[in-house]
Amino acid sequence: MSRQKLKRLGVELPLLPTSTVGSFPKTPELAEARAKYARKQITRAELEALEKKATEFWIRAQEEIGLDVLVDGEQYRGDMVAYFAELMGGFQTGGLVRSYGNRYYHKPVVVGEVKWPGPMTVEWWRWTQSLTRKPVKGMLTGPYTVMDWSFNDYYRDRRSACLALARQLRKEVEALIEAGAKIIQIDEPAISVRQEELPFAIEALHLTVDGLPAYFITHACYGAFETIYPDMLDLPVDNLDLAISNSALDLLKIFEKDPFTKDLSLGVLDVHSHSIETPAEIKARVMRGVRVLPPERVWVDPDCGLKTRTVEESRGKLAAMLTAVRELRTELA
Amino acid sequence: MDLILSSAGSYPRIGDAPDLQRHRRAYAQRERGEISAGEFTKVENEVVAGVIREQIEAGMEVVTDGLVRWYDPYSHFCRGLEGATIDGLLRLFDTNVYFRQPVVKGPIRRKAAIIVPEYEFARSVSTRPVKPVLTGPYTLSRGSILEGGYRSTHELALAYAEVLAGEVRELSRAGAELIQIDEPAIIGHPEDLNVLEAALAAAGRERGAARLLLHLSFGDVAPLYRDLQALPVDALGLDFTYSPKLPALIADLGSAKPLALGLIDARNTKLETKESVFPVLDAVLPALKTGPTYLTPSCGLEFLPRARARLKLETLKRLRDGYLGGHR
Ligand SMILES: [Zn+2]
Repeated sequence: MSRQKLKRLGVELPLLPTSTVGSFPKTPELAEARAKYARKQITRAELEALEKKATEFWIRAQEEIGLDVLVDGEQYRGDMVAYFAELMGGFQTGGLVRSYGNRYYHKPVVVGEVKWPGPMTVEWWRWTQSLTRKPVKGMLTGPYTVMDWSFNDYYRDRRSACLALARQLRKEVEALIEAGAKIIQIDEPAISVRQEELPFAIEALHLTVDGLPAYFITHACYGAFETIYPDMLDLPVDNLDLAISNSALDLLKIFEKDPFTKDLSLGVLDVHSHSIETPAEIKARVMRGVRVLPPERVWVDPDCGLKTRTVEESRGKLAAMLTAVRELRTELA
Repeated sequence: MDLILSSAGSYPRIGDAPDLQRHRRAYAQRERGEISAGEFTKVENEVVAGVIREQIEAGMEVVTDGLVRWYDPYSHFCRGLEGATIDGLLRLFDTNVYFRQPVVKGPIRRKAAIIVPEYEFARSVSTRPVKPVLTGPYTLSRGSILEGGYRSTHELALAYAEVLAGEVRELSRAGAELIQIDEPAIIGHPEDLNVLEAALAAAGRERGAARLLLHLSFGDVAPLYRDLQALPVDALGLDFTYSPKLPALIADLGSAKPLALGLIDARNTKLETKESVFPVLDAVLPALKTGPTYLTPSCGLEFLPRARARLKLETLKRLRDGYLGGHR
């Protein structure tokens, strides 16, 4: 069914489409430039030139590896919530809070009505798409996660803040579609933290995507399956991206009880491990999905963003993934 | 009626002003080997003293040491144990904070006192009573990876209880009158209440004159409320921020145990008002059969920036004084 939707959108993909969750490691050159920029040793324009160079590097890398649906690699983003909070109206940069050990970050605060400031990701998307003939995904962080990872000084409660964000993020989705994006991923890594709030997280995503012509993917991080399946099937998207590399979940048993009704992106690479999976391991992980769903409905990707791996580790892991998928395409055909 | 103001655990160890960043700088210097363990402890001592001073200035009548020396609520206990090691990062309940998971490989045994020396230092720099905080045996067990020594997380909870019993005994002897035990993990596992009960009984066995305050946060405590009343502890600390039904439930069922009312949201910056707090006090206070009653943040304040944490405590004092003064 979703294959037909992709076809209507003009996107043709092979069996077991391959993609990534969004972030790639900053290239060493860019990492150095970001540190210099923070110390005010280079200008914004100089930094941006290197962000573009790094983005182009990753587009070429994805093409060489043979991925089917590409990403811009988020070379210009720091934190996936702060990036949007810094651009949107209604937010202030908050004080420092600790995340673990000696790591601190500025947690954004909603201090007024949240407001879409005009396109936040569209120029990057447009430029990245101009570099390749492969489809590039539009990427944004979902309303529930932006709400959960910010303080709320303004709205009555978490639900009101979340729904207000959803209405504003819809404008970003509309702008991406107008620019030509056909596949849009809306990340909700926080979605499983409070099960009792899932109903309004779903309501919010409806506000963001309903009636808009694109193929929507939502990435939820490790643990989501155990806590919010099957209720998460009510998320109004075409494809759910779930980490399985690290889990011993028996998908067959779960889906027998509550059939999976969407396309499934199987996160088969462990992004927290330095070691590179073998194609055989990856094939086994993909087969866990293909045994329970028609292969036409299965996508293959890493289990989260690759930004914590090195450039070489990321390339190695993705190359192994493509080797596995090519073999499976032949075997399943 | 007495309403005692108290912190509920952690306090931010750094602030945004440069002079409040000493701990962060010293931590980094310690990691790079530029200062000795002793020099770092000296900085920690100063930060603990500052955190206690700040709580007292904000009006707290019972303070904590801010858990300034804890890496996190799990590994802080397990670093001092035989039979346990520390593994990778895991998300702490529904927060954006991460803890290092303990791995239990064999029988666990305390190598030395863990919280007692921290309590003794805090008491030496505080003009108000200090409440030591322990992560509870059930929660420690739930957060651990079990690789050997015990057959189940239940058995492991009882083993952690034995370790904590030693802490409780020594804290009581050192003069602690009120000891807080955090057991957030039980909220997601009400089926394990009997395990919690056995573990708390063991941990508190030698508490002497000290009273045990069981604190629950990071989830809705209302479904558990009735059962909590039967647990072998002397007082209950409750996070009200997840539980819209809790005030009515307490009003209805009453409480045979003294309560610590976690009315101030320690997870969000928005400040409470009398409109949000007074109706809860009106509902709950008449149902309490015994005191003292504590007013606290919903959990540790480390989830907030330092300046806001202080403001939250000042708000708590202003609301308490306003309520008792009848300024409605
Ligand atoms: Zn993820």
